[in-house]
Amino acid sequence: MTTTSKSIKRWHILFFFAFLGVQPLSAQQNFTVSGTLTDQQNGETLFGSTVFLKGTTIGVVTNEYGFYSLTAPAGKYTLVFSYLGYQDVIRDIDLNQNQKLDIELQSTSYQLTEVEVTAEEPERAILRKPEMSVSKLNISTVKQMPVVLGEVDVIKSLQVLPGVTANGEGSAGFHVRGGAADQNLVLLDEAIIYNTSHLLGFFSVFNADAVKDLKLYKGGIPARFGGRVSSVLDVRQKDGNRKNFALTGGIGVISSRLAAEGPLFGDKGSFLVAGRSSYLDVLLKLAGEKNTAGFYDLNLKANYELGEKNRLFLSGYFGRDNFNLEDSFNSSYGNASGNLRWNHIFNDRLFSNLSLIYSNYDYNLDIDDFELDWESSIRNFNLKYDLKYYLSDAFKLDFGVSTISYLFNPGEIRPTSETSSVNPLKLDEKRALESGVYVNAEHKLSDRLTAQYGIRLSHFMRLGGQSLSVYENNQPLVYDETRRIYLRTEPIGETAFAKSDRIATFLNWEPRAALAYQLNDNSSIKLGYSRAAQYIHLLSNTASVTPLDVWAPSGKFIEPQLSNQYALGYFRNFKDKMYSLEMEVYYKDVDNRIDYIDGSDLIGNNTIETEILNGESRAYGLEFLFRKNEGPLTGWLAYTLSKSEQRTPGGIAGGPGINDGAWYNTPFDRTHDFSMTAAYRLSDKWSLGANAIFQTGRPVTYPNGQYEYEGISIASFGLRNADRLPAYHRLDVSATYRPNRRPDKRWKGEWVLSVYNLYNRKNAAAISFGQNFETGANEATRTAIFGIVPSLTYNFKF
Amino acid sequence: MKTIHLYLILAFVTLLGSCTDVIEVDVPEAPIRLVVEASLDWEQGTPGNEQSIQLRTSTPYFENQDNPPVSGASVEVMNLDTGETFIFTEGTPGNYSIDTFVPILGNRYQLDVVYEGERYRATETLFPVSPFTEISQSTEEGEDDVLEVNVSFQDPETVANWYYLRFQARGDLLLELYYIEDEFIDGNEFTIFYEKIEDEDQNIQEFQPGDVVDIQFYGISEDYYNYLQLLIDQFDSAGEPFSATPVPLVGNCINLDNPDNIAYGYFRVTEKTTAAYTFN
Repeated sequence: MTTTSKSIKRWHILFFFAFLGVQPLSAQQNFTVSGTLTDQQNGETLFGSTVFLKGTTIGVVTNEYGFYSLTAPAGKYTLVFSYLGYQDVIRDIDLNQNQKLDIELQSTSYQLTEVEVTAEEPERAILRKPEMSVSKLNISTVKQMPVVLGEVDVIKSLQVLPGVTANGEGSAGFHVRGGAADQNLVLLDEAIIYNTSHLLGFFSVFNADAVKDLKLYKGGIPARFGGRVSSVLDVRQKDGNRKNFALTGGIGVISSRLAAEGPLFGDKGSFLVAGRSSYLDVLLKLAGEKNTAGFYDLNLKANYELGEKNRLFLSGYFGRDNFNLEDSFNSSYGNASGNLRWNHIFNDRLFSNLSLIYSNYDYNLDIDDFELDWESSIRNFNLKYDLKYYLSDAFKLDFGVSTISYLFNPGEIRPTSETSSVNPLKLDEKRALESGVYVNAEHKLSDRLTAQYGIRLSHFMRLGGQSLSVYENNQPLVYDETRRIYLRTEPIGETAFAKSDRIATFLNWEPRAALAYQLNDNSSIKLGYSRAAQYIHLLSNTASVTPLDVWAPSGKFIEPQLSNQYALGYFRNFKDKMYSLEMEVYYKDVDNRIDYIDGSDLIGNNTIETEILNGESRAYGLEFLFRKNEGPLTGWLAYTLSKSEQRTPGGIAGGPGINDGAWYNTPFDRTHDFSMTAAYRLSDKWSLGANAIFQTGRPVTYPNGQYEYEGISIASFGLRNADRLPAYHRLDVSATYRPNRRPDKRWKGEWVLSVYNLYNRKNAAAISFGQNFETGANEATRTAIFGIVPSLTYNFKF
Repeated sequence: MKTIHLYLILAFVTLLGSCTDVIEVDVPEAPIRLVVEASLDWEQGTPGNEQSIQLRTSTPYFENQDNPPVSGASVEVMNLDTGETFIFTEGTPGNYSIDTFVPILGNRYQLDVVYEGERYRATETLFPVSPFTEISQSTEEGEDDVLEVNVSFQDPETVANWYYLRFQARGDLLLELYYIEDEFIDGNEFTIFYEKIEDEDQNIQEFQPGDVVDIQFYGISEDYYNYLQLLIDQFDSAGEPFSATPVPLVGNCINLDNPDNIAYGYFRVTEKTTAAYTFN
């Protein structure tokens, strides 16, 4: 505790100096210019555009709602507004009073995809901002990448960035810097998305036509985000066209999509409705297949301007997957979220946003053969209030509060008929309240040195309303010295907690800090440290997370995960920003990472504490990203060299722990990860794209012997994740054809031909070991998901 | 929840027809271990006096030959409740048997094996099984229009029970193993079906009229249930995409002299009921 209070004291001092540093030292008067930047064509606000006073180092980047505020000493200036893919707007202003200046930027091209471009300005290196370990993807870049079966996939596109990997094709989620899928906070318009994939991981839940921009924080997570230790993926939906009604859509092999958007209440607002549905089930039925699978999703958004200072946003998402096997097994699952937001501008320097957010994920299963029905879910309400204060050119302050109320339903079994042999059972529902308060400063210390520092105070309360088992010596499981295995213990009693009781509370200080030093006009070095706490955990003992995995809150038996991440980077632009280079090294450790004992059983288990041990994980690596930002050929090379491992000692259960207490690879460890992405504009009508990927194989456990028992061959297994699947690699290409378009014609169409896995590499998604029932011999069977997959998609905009 | 898992795998494989093929893989090699297959199963309605225990050694994973038998070991079982000792004698190499064994429900038994100067010991309790209430055939369960056999039994109420169910088509290597606990079905009549799904690669055909399937049903201990659960899950799907990370399978035979030199296999004492069903 003393170290905590000591570090708190240190923070106080830091803040004190920070405020001192921003006191205006001269009597010269300052004025502020503020406003909103929008796209001239469709009225979408532009997040991440730069606004600066020419000839000075005074500048600012627009926030998520396109708002900016700049403060400078009185005088005459030239204001420059710029955004990648848009023409600069230059305005001379006389800054002799506070003023409001809303600006519309015009897209430099009228390409179908690029009209929607609104990603954060530079995909190229930003030198002055201390922000590091952040990946931004322009949605038009995402759309140019060749994809499997013509489905533009936001999550898959992230995997060509350094430090981001997946468990292979057909596996849900993604892994950032050696972290697990449940350590990523995935937000769609601020709502938590608990499952990011459709069809067990083949597609992502994000409809690219409804997405405006996305930002992935791999480290250096800003203090306004909390709750996950690995990364934050912040996905924002489009607001809808404010100028005129428009339709976009596409027809693909697996699914089709349609989006409608347009103005609402005259010029006061706009809306967007986007839908997507697969017709895989229809195709499978036509093919005579009795098993079917399918998904659909719906995105909604509306906004309304209440005078100059207030704006309301309403957004929603609803997605669903369905599996049906032989009519005897039905499974359906999906996310639903809704969000009401209120932007309020207090004055030209103080911007605020209040959000009320709802998220839900549920999994349903019907098994006819056993006449039973299974359901599990997680639901939360989130109220948050974020403010940004543009105190001066040199000092900006973010601060806010957030509270999330969770309800976990880990599972309920219901018999579906009178004759069912299954008894009804409901596992204990769990409740929790997660709150946070934060403050973060962006502080220009000199023309070359900028700092960002802040702190998040997070608090987690596991609420009552359930009973908890009591174990002898507080040991839910115990090491059996003679057999050398962990055995579950029988509870010796139960403690009932009333709804008003607290089962456990946790409080954590999460300091975050970063420093950028600009070496010269073209290069800078950055340093970062962040600490984060994670209070909810996805229980999964499988190689890939499955839709039926359930979330569990921290409490009496599960401690919050706590991570420290340190990063150092070098950033450089070449040839007038034509090329850029980003290099980062990082080290991350996570305390209280749980792992599962040998033979753990997680499904339908009311006492998860008997299946887990508390451990730690660590990851470190070097990331390298080289981009070509301009010209007909654009793209990048990314390489990551990394290590990710974990250790799980016996702790209170005694014994050496999992894997004899030694460090072992996490399933997300990839020694080498190389990717290349290129887009080439051949002519006005034709453009080409390519991806190449090479990755070290996923760590797995192979058998180390066999013996006969019960008339079958039993495999014996050794140390956890000590072997590896063969290396994963593939090449994808695509060609896009845009037929003749007259500017006056509203209908604009394009054909996208893509070939995934061009050289038909059979990448092992898994290798299973078993006995051939014809010969009786043991054999290894490789499951490869996608061989070469050509596809054709037609996209249109009207 | 084996079923759910199985269905997930099915969904996965069905989806877009992901392809599987047999490949060569280099696997690690662990030291050779003693394998104890000590299954003292008392068939209902018989005296249960004839019992046998098999001792073998393990082999590297891809060495596809019979496990070498272990000869010259000393094998005895003691009833810890009565103090009676049963000495097993070696007949064919590696096969140790006795015809004077006395099974008593609820009694605890201890196995002692001495092999190469090292003593291995295990203890286990004899649990009762529930008799079959019905065995029938149908085509509606599982895949439609495919013959399956349905086996029903009545679980006794309020007591915790663990079962092991084994189907094997006569003349077939293929078998299907089930572990069942009564957590969700306590006190109910429960039915499980078994059907064969055609598989050209492994030359598996659906059941035809005239085919015989042997069914064995055991009442087992909770500890053996945990062992079997892991054994069966890993046998069915080790390494598959949605299966748990494979882990060492640890039986109940402890090496008293050299704990690092573990033994594979298990010492079980069960009551069992068997049936042979002929499809018509």
